[in-house]
Amino acid sequence: MLGRWLNRSGSRTEAPTGSYQNGNEHLIEVREVVKTYETAAGPFSALKSVDLQVDTAEFVAVIGKSGSGKSTLVNMIAGIDRPTSGQVFVGDAAVHTLSEGQLAEWRGRNVGVIFQFFQLLPTLTAIENVMLPMDFCNMYSPQERQERAMYLLEQVEMAQHAHKLPSAVSGGEQQRVAIARALANSPPIVLADEPTGNLDSKTAEGVLQLFERLVEQGKTILMVTHDKDLSERVMRTILLADGEIVDQVVNNRTLQPFVPMQPKEPDSA
Amino acid sequence: MPSPRWRKVLRDLWGNKTRTVLVVLSVAVGVFAVGMIANTQVILSRDLAQSYAATNPAHAILSIEPFDESLVRAVRNMPEVQEAQGGRSYWVRLKTGPNGWVNFQLFAISDYDDIQINKVWPESGAWPPQRREVLLERSSVGPTKAYVGDTVLVEIPNGQQRELRVAGLAHDLAQVPTAFWGGAYGYVTFDTLAWLDGPRTYNTLYITAAENAFDREQIGRIAERVRDRVERSGWTVYRMEIPEPGKHWADDVIQALLLVLGALGFLSLILSGFLVVNIVTALLAQQVRQIGIMKAVGARRDQIMGMYLTMVLIFGLLALILAVPLGALAARALIGYIAGLMNFDIVSSGIPPRVIALQAAVGVIVPLLAALYPVTVGTRITAREAISEYGLGKGRFGRGLTDRLVERVRGLPRPLLLSLRNTFRRKGRLALTLATLTLAGAIFIAVFSVRASLFYELDDVLEYLNYDIEVDFTQPYRIARIEREALRVPGVVGAEGWGFSIAHRRRGDGSESESIRILAPPVGTDMLQPTISEGRWLRPGDRRAIVVTTDLLQAEPDVKVGDEIVLRIGERDTTWQIVGVAGRVGVPFAYANYPHLARIVSSVGYAGVLVVKTEQDDAAFQSQVARALEERFKRVGLHVAATMTMGQIRATNIFQFNVLFAFLLIMAILLAVVGGLGLMGTMSLNVFERIREIGVMRAIGASDRAVLQVVIVESVIIGVLSWLLAAILALPLSKLLCDAIGVAFIQKPLTFTFSVDGVLMWLVVAVIVAALASFLPARNASRLTVREVLAYE
Ligand SMILES: Nc1ncnc2c1ncn2[C@@H]1O[C@H](COP(=O)(O)OP(=O)(O)OP(=O)(O)O)[C@@H](O)[C@H]1O
Ligand SMILES: [Mg+2]
Repeated sequence: MLGRWLNRSGSRTEAPTGSYQNGNEHLIEVREVVKTYETAAGPFSALKSVDLQVDTAEFVAVIGKSGSGKSTLVNMIAGIDRPTSGQVFVGDAAVHTLSEGQLAEWRGRNVGVIFQFFQLLPTLTAIENVMLPMDFCNMYSPQERQERAMYLLEQVEMAQHAHKLPSAVSGGEQQRVAIARALANSPPIVLADEPTGNLDSKTAEGVLQLFERLVEQGKTILMVTHDKDLSERVMRTILLADGEIVDQVVNNRTLQPFVPMQPKEPDSA
Repeated sequence: MPSPRWRKVLRDLWGNKTRTVLVVLSVAVGVFAVGMIANTQVILSRDLAQSYAATNPAHAILSIEPFDESLVRAVRNMPEVQEAQGGRSYWVRLKTGPNGWVNFQLFAISDYDDIQINKVWPESGAWPPQRREVLLERSSVGPTKAYVGDTVLVEIPNGQQRELRVAGLAHDLAQVPTAFWGGAYGYVTFDTLAWLDGPRTYNTLYITAAENAFDREQIGRIAERVRDRVERSGWTVYRMEIPEPGKHWADDVIQALLLVLGALGFLSLILSGFLVVNIVTALLAQQVRQIGIMKAVGARRDQIMGMYLTMVLIFGLLALILAVPLGALAARALIGYIAGLMNFDIVSSGIPPRVIALQAAVGVIVPLLAALYPVTVGTRITAREAISEYGLGKGRFGRGLTDRLVERVRGLPRPLLLSLRNTFRRKGRLALTLATLTLAGAIFIAVFSVRASLFYELDDVLEYLNYDIEVDFTQPYRIARIEREALRVPGVVGAEGWGFSIAHRRRGDGSESESIRILAPPVGTDMLQPTISEGRWLRPGDRRAIVVTTDLLQAEPDVKVGDEIVLRIGERDTTWQIVGVAGRVGVPFAYANYPHLARIVSSVGYAGVLVVKTEQDDAAFQSQVARALEERFKRVGLHVAATMTMGQIRATNIFQFNVLFAFLLIMAILLAVVGGLGLMGTMSLNVFERIREIGVMRAIGASDRAVLQVVIVESVIIGVLSWLLAAILALPLSKLLCDAIGVAFIQKPLTFTFSVDGVLMWLVVAVIVAALASFLPARNASRLTVREVLAYE
């Protein structure tokens, strides 16, 4: 049952290092990505030639100071933002080449996104918010959608709040609904930008456990976080500073003893 | 159960009821106006044409010296004539009150059950009338206050009075209703007419053509053959009239009126589109983040556009639900009113499907078109722009030129200053709101300008006729005698006998014009002060010189100043030179010097018309003097056919102008409503977007009243601004409308008069509308508590 819901595109998630359509070896491949913004004070590079590979069923944390380019990087992978130069391959898609419309549809089917704030449409109930991606991407039959959304809400322990509007539930509960929504179309990849940023530690722990379960089921998760405790529980941590990846730490809890990661500078959070 | 995105659309509609109601109402007003006018147009045209055709209208009408049935038979036997019918009309006067008399045109009909042409229908009461009974035309009942069963007093040409019983009512579609000119109509038998001293002969011949009933030229030729036939048999034809085939006399006027009204209705719909632009722009700005989230979870832009456009579509559909039945209902009322005014009946019922189709089309298309741009632009935002904080923060005060100008304004009280600066914060929205109100205001002022111009035009004609009373005699009398008798009547300060004759122009191709009235005032008269638009006025020595009115030039477009024309007067063809053109009076007129005309008609020293100047020129005094003149002439045995005072002419014209004005004003008011709704939309958006500021104001101690005031004053500033712009725009627009109305109703542009009253009136209206429009938003703002404001978002 669980497998059926969560592993819709099973073939892709089961082959750990298959070669994808565009020749990329890894599920996510970011190649020499530069992002430059035109600002009043002149051009500003938020990402300076970033290279990154993430494999299927990896759980990766991105950390760094505020303004270091974490959100920018995640947005590149989600196709929410476009690189100034460089390439972004995700599965069979060359994300940097897709049009806005293609991106939206691709994202809806292949990537679940979670933000820190303002996630849910205020006029839709929790379950309706979860059904929204299925609606837009025309996935599942209308009856299935309802059933599936309810199942996902159960997974995040929000089933009892399914018919409440976002304004009637707490911030942490909203976040859980957002996670359920990110899984709506059973995407192989989940991108989360500070998903626990405004949750208390207990709720944050719940979210993390949920993520761990998803990874066990074969999902690939890339998560931006400020929370050191969280970053210690992922498989790999990427440290960004001034738009560059300055360090990567692999935590293999099963094979290696626990090595706490040392950020170069104390984080602003 | 609709899918989540449509649920979002529905909840957005339902969740902000003010917004929905405003947009729906505004679009509904436009659709209502369009529907009302379109319904009226379709139903009136159809029913008027039908009822008119049902009367079997005459294709040509000939006024002939008294004739009998043998001539009618002879004409009927002509192969080109389908049907011929003799008629007799006879002018008497009808007493309507202690001191009131109106002209009463009696038609004698020999067989009431066998009217073939220009059918008159029984309306109520007896049919046919018995001896000493009359059937009153139904449009004459109201103005004369004579009802079925009443006995009315009529005065016959020899001055004697007779009593007639009103036995019933008739309906005669061919006559211009009494309300339009004051004269009443009655239907009697020839016996009754004889008893009223009238002849037993016919004087009018009605014919219908056997073929080509809708070809005016063909009918003209047939009518000429009939005239030749009649004249060969020894009768003189005075006058020939060929009405436009198949067209009731009111048709042109109604069509022109509805065209103007329809254009204004459509304009109000366009203006409601501006509100849609404002509301949709604001909605998309408010929902930027929602759009971002939707894009992030996989919504394509076209899907999001579809959602917002569907919302607008629903606005349009709701407006239709409201406006279609109301428009049909209002059309019923309007049709009823116009039909009553023009004296015909509406036979059909039901809303014409093509009008519903038209309403549906414009009611849906206009808002969708209006929303297309803001939706296109608003959904173009990328997911990143929508989610990040960057790229927002447009529409702040303080950048442009106007901001700096407004900033310069100093020395005003703080709250007023705040209102003033707030006004200019959303420039696009302000521009559209101002455009709506300005157009509404300019139309409003233009409508008043049309009224002023009509009255100016009327004054112009009345000034041109520099006398107060006109007396038409049944036959020419010696000038010295009628002038002498007239001057004996108290209140008369001047009297002049004028020669009068009916002429027809003989055109180069041998055909004849419709009748032209020739008036011949004495040389050097000051009772006539025509405005000469070309050439010159008559000079004392002029012999074969005439001055024609522009009406004649319109009827006979090939003539111009300096031309010689041949006029048939009675039996004689006479040649005249056109020396000048005088202003319009309504029907083709020509002026000649008295001595020359008198010689031609061999009545030197005699006059058929007397014009009189009275001491005072108010309408009541004129009527009183006219009455005294009639009595005097009766006593001395001079037979009066009709009297007319300038006061009467003015009154009937004013009635017509006011009808026109009322219609235009209704549309102007609808436009003002749309403008008001637009302003209300703007003010509620402004308040909504400034909820935080209002919270701050309240947190630092602003009272309910202060908050209320800041909002209302902002709205009034917009109202006054729109007034300024409207006053400027009204100048060209008034000119345009005056030209259109003039061409439609009197075949030439109105002499343009700008209505300053209208400008002032719009100031009052604009301020009131602005205050009303802002009241609800202002009250909502003043009711916000600090806590609510902080909880917002
Ligand atoms: N649209 C933009 N225009 C200009 N500069 C931008 C834009 N978006 C981001 N930046 C800049 O790029 C840099 C990286 O931004 P980004 O949002 O990726 O940082 P972040 O690491 O996510 O920070 P935080 O932890 O505060 O969320 C910042 O310095 C930011 O000011
Ligand atoms: Mg960030």
